[in-house]
Amino acid sequence: MPSKRILLVIVSVFALLGLVSACSGGSTEPTSGGEKVVETVIVKETVIVEKAAEEQIPEGATVIDFWHAFGGGRKLLIERMVADYNYTHPGVYVRVENKGSYRDTLNAAILAAQQGNAPHVVQIFEIGSQLALDSGIFMPIEDVVQGPEFQPDDYIPAVANYYKINGKFNSLPWNSSNPILYYNKDIFRKAGLDPEKPPQTFEEMLSACETIVSSGAAKNCISWPLHGWFFEQWMANMGAELANNGNGRDARATEVYLDGDAAKTILNWWKEMYDKGYYAYSGKLEDWDGADAIFVSGQAAMEITSTSDVVNRQNDAAENGFELGTSYLPYPASSERQGVIVGGASIWLTKDHPDNELQAAKDFMIWFTNTENAIRWHKATGYFPVRKSAVDVLEVENWFELNPAYKAAFDQLLETKETKATQGALIGAFPEVRTIIEQAVEKVLAGEATVDEALSAAQKDANKAVQDYNKSVE
Amino acid sequence: MTRKKRNDLFAHIGLIIICFIVLVPVLFALSKSTQTRAQVFHYPPILGPGTAMIQNYRTAWNEFNLSLYMQNSLIIAGIVMVFKTIFSMLAGLGLVYFDFPLKNGIFYFILFTLMMPTEIMIIALFNLVSDLGWGNNYAALTIPFLASATGVFLFRQHFASIPGELADAARVDGAGPVRFLWSVLVPMSRNTIGAMALIQFIYMWNMYIWPLVIIRENVRQVVQVGLRQMTNVQDTTNWGVVMAGAILAMLPPLIIFVLLHEQFTKGFALGQEK
Amino acid sequence: MYTAKFKGRFLPWLFLTPTLVILVVFLYYPVVQTFVLSTYRVAFLGLRKKFIGLDNFVSLAQDTGYWHTVWVTLIITAVVVVGGLGISLAIAMLANRDLRGGSIYRVLLIWPFALSPAVTGVIFLFMFSPGFGAINYLTEQITGSELNWLGNPRLAITLIILASIWRNLGYNVVFYLAGLQNLNTEVLEAASIDGATNWQRFWKVTFALLSPMSFFLLITNITYSFFDLFGMIDIVTKGGPLDATNVMIYNLYRDGFEYYKTGLAAAQSVILFAVVVGLTIIQFRTTGTRVHYGG
Repeated sequence: MPSKRILLVIVSVFALLGLVSACSGGSTEPTSGGEKVVETVIVKETVIVEKAAEEQIPEGATVIDFWHAFGGGRKLLIERMVADYNYTHPGVYVRVENKGSYRDTLNAAILAAQQGNAPHVVQIFEIGSQLALDSGIFMPIEDVVQGPEFQPDDYIPAVANYYKINGKFNSLPWNSSNPILYYNKDIFRKAGLDPEKPPQTFEEMLSACETIVSSGAAKNCISWPLHGWFFEQWMANMGAELANNGNGRDARATEVYLDGDAAKTILNWWKEMYDKGYYAYSGKLEDWDGADAIFVSGQAAMEITSTSDVVNRQNDAAENGFELGTSYLPYPASSERQGVIVGGASIWLTKDHPDNELQAAKDFMIWFTNTENAIRWHKATGYFPVRKSAVDVLEVENWFELNPAYKAAFDQLLETKETKATQGALIGAFPEVRTIIEQAVEKVLAGEATVDEALSAAQKDANKAVQDYNKSVE
Repeated sequence: MTRKKRNDLFAHIGLIIICFIVLVPVLFALSKSTQTRAQVFHYPPILGPGTAMIQNYRTAWNEFNLSLYMQNSLIIAGIVMVFKTIFSMLAGLGLVYFDFPLKNGIFYFILFTLMMPTEIMIIALFNLVSDLGWGNNYAALTIPFLASATGVFLFRQHFASIPGELADAARVDGAGPVRFLWSVLVPMSRNTIGAMALIQFIYMWNMYIWPLVIIRENVRQVVQVGLRQMTNVQDTTNWGVVMAGAILAMLPPLIIFVLLHEQFTKGFALGQEK
Repeated sequence: MYTAKFKGRFLPWLFLTPTLVILVVFLYYPVVQTFVLSTYRVAFLGLRKKFIGLDNFVSLAQDTGYWHTVWVTLIITAVVVVGGLGISLAIAMLANRDLRGGSIYRVLLIWPFALSPAVTGVIFLFMFSPGFGAINYLTEQITGSELNWLGNPRLAITLIILASIWRNLGYNVVFYLAGLQNLNTEVLEAASIDGATNWQRFWKVTFALLSPMSFFLLITNITYSFFDLFGMIDIVTKGGPLDATNVMIYNLYRDGFEYYKTGLAAAQSVILFAVVVGLTIIQFRTTGTRVHYGG
């Protein structure tokens, strides 16, 4: 009978509701299915985090919103750290939320500010820094925190270099990384290559790839996401600036440099790697997972990706049973290695909050990035320690000797020469410029344009984006 | 074998193949939702069940907040399903059983909104709802959707096809329009109500772009955006967990669909109902 | 048909109030605002607005990227609608036979309608992913070389179209099946007595009788391709590669909510609105009231 059915539907909607609420409050014993150590750890962490999440906000507590872009294990770690803070700071309750990717998080914060309801603390990726400054919704952290609680000199030079804008820290550096080379030593052995000598230059990469692919040791040679970040890093590694006015550091950038020799060298090599079937990517822009999958499944012998994946890759290698090696980002032999830009993100404080919330947010930000937490964060992820004091502690522990994978990542940063190029560009429209660069690479790989054509078109589009943006903020 | 039998056999084979093709993507998702990361990344792909089923579903449910998101989606879909049906029915009653000036004008005024899907005015709607201060509220996800031209149209057409003598009889009995609606029209409109309920539930459950831009905090976020978050983080995605999430997210509309598809077919599309 | 009336001056307005209030506040008003906004350049975060007349439309008209977006939208819509409806009709004809277990087939065919574009997107993205996707592996075994489903513009657009058709297949089949079941069987029998071939019978009689249903499905499928595909595209391709799947609604979202070009995005809304109004007028002109809703 139809009427019975409708009744049934309404009942089932409510039954589902009941089920949902019952399950979310239900018991969460660790499963016995987690046969891998890593997974068991994660399951245990889930339990703790859930308990924390279920806690009601204490009455009268000052609530601080903190938005970030992480998922998976890192999300759990952040939630644990925040739970620790809440536990030790009665009267304050930090509510932590993940908002999707870096781009999503920035957009969500700006949309929330537009609604007059911005979160207090937001993680913003490095290339969003100028945009964040221009948006006017944040307050420079160094204006708010002074004195003994803030030690600007404790940041390692490369980090300070990037995040000091107009002579001061506008945000607190948090997760910093740069690209390194990961490789599968077993495939190297199978191909007859020395597993302790990964390729260092573009040229060595080409010949190693030939050996790997022709020997049949792996289907492809290498993968990395089709992401503007790598292009930016290679530019810096060759000492080339990305924008005028001292890479946007001396004054607001009004032009980008996308069609110079450095850019052409990078794209020509990239294209050659792709055409010969050495380089493989998922086909999607900024798809970190895709590159990971190709490498982890053994279809490629190498992967270039962030140092922050050290822990993830070690787990993957253990799960899939291969030996992992790490090395520096390859560079063209024609130029000297200049080093890398600090990638990653920092945390920003928004304005227009009552004084008690401001104080609490500030206190949380300082706690969250203190030496102890910097060490915890580094060990659990692979993001490098941004504080000298954290590095000192790690050295006393002999951490880097015991964990060589972390060392390659960190040494590469320490060896970086301080130039305008490695300081990293500041461009207001950088998120859009990055997309334009990525589309140029796409065009070249797809054979729809030559390197020169694609780059000069990108140069034109990017300049227009930069100028339109500048018009809207001046 | 007769010709009819042979043709039937071909039809059976063809239908089985097509049903299978329709089923494959979900079977695939089901299989992957039980696999560990290593099993998912295995090359060539493993198609059977894996060893991490309970763990994946638990992770999707708890760690990625799907329990919360599904609850939110159920609440907003439930509210809209009930109130939109009531409001549309009332409007249909007003348009069919009364005479008043501008009646046709009003009907076309309502019908014209068929051409205004949310996506078209999303920029201005965002500003409006933000100004109302609903940015973090179920109100943002429900109130703008409580009325629809489709609903009014369906009920108006349906009421118009019900014999007028019934209303006469009701009036002679001294029943007012509300009682007439409740005791005569509602029982005679089960299929239309069922069709409306199904369409509205699925529409609300599938909402994507609007909650994506308007909802500020995850505590009010809906299930589709939750799926997006699972695949779109600055970190490695565990595809087994994502597939578990996809399976969970498709269950409630599937259940409602299975229960209501007959009303849907009869009430929405087709004349000549027996 | 005669319909009795109740008396009351205010009563009908009372019944109509909830619907009218919501439609005015949340549909008409924002649409008007959209038109207004489309004539402004809105600075970052909406802090400053400057009236610029039709400049937003002019810059869209001059932007080859935007024309590409329109083109992509039309291609996807055309293939999804024509291909989807064709396949659905064929399946409906097959399932409409008087077969044993026919109702089981019907249920097994129509359920994907309950799946959201986002869920469909997640599953298809995964199946076609290089490295671990099953379809990807399959196409590699068959063709001998790896097909870059997400990186090659043509393949990516094919993937979006396949997923869209698959997802809406059930919906279309349900409606066609219902249409077939309501066909006047006498006409069909008369046609076969007249000695018409199967093909003639299908084309001249069945298809013609189904045309109101086809028109109805045409419009709902066009709306689906124009707007509902957003979730799928956002998850599977993000408009790429090379903007190959950057449909109008996705471009609007990106300009409005990622690059904060509010005025420009509003102008795109106005264009979309014009397209929808145009399509609706065509629908009313061609089908009039022939599509019979009832039941």
